[in-house]
Amino acid sequence: MTNVATINPEAIKQRLQKVFQDVFDDETMQIHERMTAAEVADWDSLSHINLVVAVEKEFRVRLTTADVRGLNHVGDFIALLSSKAA
Amino acid sequence: MISANTPDLDYLRLVRQAKKLNVTGLPSLKLALLSDAATQQFVPLLRALFQENGVALEIYEAPFDAMELEAINPDSGLYQFRPNVVLLAHCTQALRGRYYENGGGDFLRQSSEQITGLWSTIQTRCSARIVQCNFPLPYERQFGHFDLKVAHSLYSSVSELNMRLAEAAREQGNVLLCDVEALSSTIGRKYWFDDRLWNMSKAFCRLEYLPQVAQALVEIVLATRGRVVKCVVLDLDNTLWGGVVGDDGANSVAIGPHGDGEAFYHFQQFLLSLKQRGILLAVCSKNNYDTALLPFAENPGMVLRRDDITVFIANWENKAGNIRKIRATLEIGLDSMVFLDDNAFERNLVRQMLPGVIVPEMPEDPADYVRALCECNLFETSSFSAEDMARADLYQQEAGRREQRANYASVGEYLESLDMRIEVGRFTKAKLPRIAQLLQRSNQFNLTTRRHNEAECERMRLDWQGCIPLCASLSDRLGDHGLISIVILERTPDALVIRDWLMSCRVLTRGVEQFLMNEVVEIAQQNGYKIILGEYVPTAKNAMVQDFFAQFGFENIDATHWRLDVANYVVNETYIQPALEPVFAESN
Repeated sequence: MTNVATINPEAIKQRLQKVFQDVFDDETMQIHERMTAAEVADWDSLSHINLVVAVEKEFRVRLTTADVRGLNHVGDFIALLSSKAA
Repeated sequence: MISANTPDLDYLRLVRQAKKLNVTGLPSLKLALLSDAATQQFVPLLRALFQENGVALEIYEAPFDAMELEAINPDSGLYQFRPNVVLLAHCTQALRGRYYENGGGDFLRQSSEQITGLWSTIQTRCSARIVQCNFPLPYERQFGHFDLKVAHSLYSSVSELNMRLAEAAREQGNVLLCDVEALSSTIGRKYWFDDRLWNMSKAFCRLEYLPQVAQALVEIVLATRGRVVKCVVLDLDNTLWGGVVGDDGANSVAIGPHGDGEAFYHFQQFLLSLKQRGILLAVCSKNNYDTALLPFAENPGMVLRRDDITVFIANWENKAGNIRKIRATLEIGLDSMVFLDDNAFERNLVRQMLPGVIVPEMPEDPADYVRALCECNLFETSSFSAEDMARADLYQQEAGRREQRANYASVGEYLESLDMRIEVGRFTKAKLPRIAQLLQRSNQFNLTTRRHNEAECERMRLDWQGCIPLCASLSDRLGDHGLISIVILERTPDALVIRDWLMSCRVLTRGVEQFLMNEVVEIAQQNGYKIILGEYVPTAKNAMVQDFFAQFGFENIDATHWRLDVANYVVNETYIQPALEPVFAESN
């Protein structure tokens, strides 16, 4: 896993999907841009932090407190990771 | 059993694992978790790791940062839960917050008294064991390198607080420490602390390291339940020294404080320190017996002497069989033995044939031997007493007794010649650490395997009306065995009940249990009881005593309960004399 600047949002989404599947332990989970915590039963404050930790590991980035506050739906993750990779 | 490998402590793996636990049939343990950090990230890790170690964990999570309230209120959820273990997981981040707010000269005294005060309060309200986390030293330094020269700096305060907690805990057998500072400094506090996660979710540390705290707790708690290593079995060639004694000669093997021998020298020093704290050392080597002994007798670079080795086996037979012999001689469980051998073939053979034995991988470079052992944390314990230090000597004396036994015409004649003296009496305060330790360690000669801790023993000691908690110490012509048996009796309206009965296997077949049963019957008679009731709870290890009650004429009531009509008891003859008048009615 290298942090080659994959600014392609679709590629980021693929990797992000794997992270979500891991964190929520659901191999069939399909994410989409408008998906929020309200749609996912297990997406509580604890798994939100777990998501952040897993995203940091997968994308080898460090998110600031402000970054994390701004993560409300999957689209926010993709946009943020695109900007970090850029 | 203790794992020979460092466990897989991946945070997300454990979080996933915790969602699909199957703890059916596992013994349960009740843990209360009190913290000034968030506990919700910690709970799944604890559940998963305890389950991987064969324990079904029930957890009580106290409300966030409510440690004092929970401890002080006798009706709090903490006490209603009736925990076996209370974990006090204080964190440096919360301490730091209080320091910056209040600071000043009294911070250290207040902080340490607040924590030791929690210990006292909890101990007056329940008999759970307490595990206290100490504090990782903070990453931030106000004065740079000058920090330690300023007594009230944050860095000095945390450092001193850890020392005060350690000193206080040394005086309290019931309080164990979880050395979180050792974990964080091994990892590096630069990585341990994550103030982002603290601000967002009050996380105890960076989440990827949280499993290490959970694993530490597993090791500490399981040691209190008897999961301890009692014996290290050692190969010789290329394990204890470099080279092959049969080929190179006793004085040419690499061992000594300099050069090629230094790695082995350090390893032997470490092993000797284990022996000195009560872990037995045994040798199991493929060698001629006389050749194997030579370096111990002749090589001046050796740290270990022949006397340090309790059982010495050197022959050409397979090592699994030899380890079985060592086990039988020492009368300990296979799962309390560690086997160290540089040879992968021997390691695998022992793993396959004796799956209970702990067989760590040995690193290629002998300079890494000590480090590899410590990374497995094989030698965790929950107590340490003067008797531990003398244990190897006791076993040595026992080996002497076995050799002597062969020379006597009858066992009776031999036992008589030993001039055995026994001291039986109620628990005393001074004996509690050893009593609690025997309760944790005894597996085989143990009728009920209830692991009462020191606090529970103290409660029994003071329960003059209901409980007669007895302990016995034995000595003989060849040495002192120390405290070797515990019999806990309970007065009920209709019968005297034997709640627990256990004995160290070092003193099997000497008539100790016969002597003690005579005493129990006498106590029953003195107290006007016509009936004595007993209980045998089978475990994987205590088949040795399945006929215990039958041999004394008890009748079987149901699967686990036994009953004796005192009038029918036939007093057993023994070769043991009382050392002192038994003290059953000692006043408070």
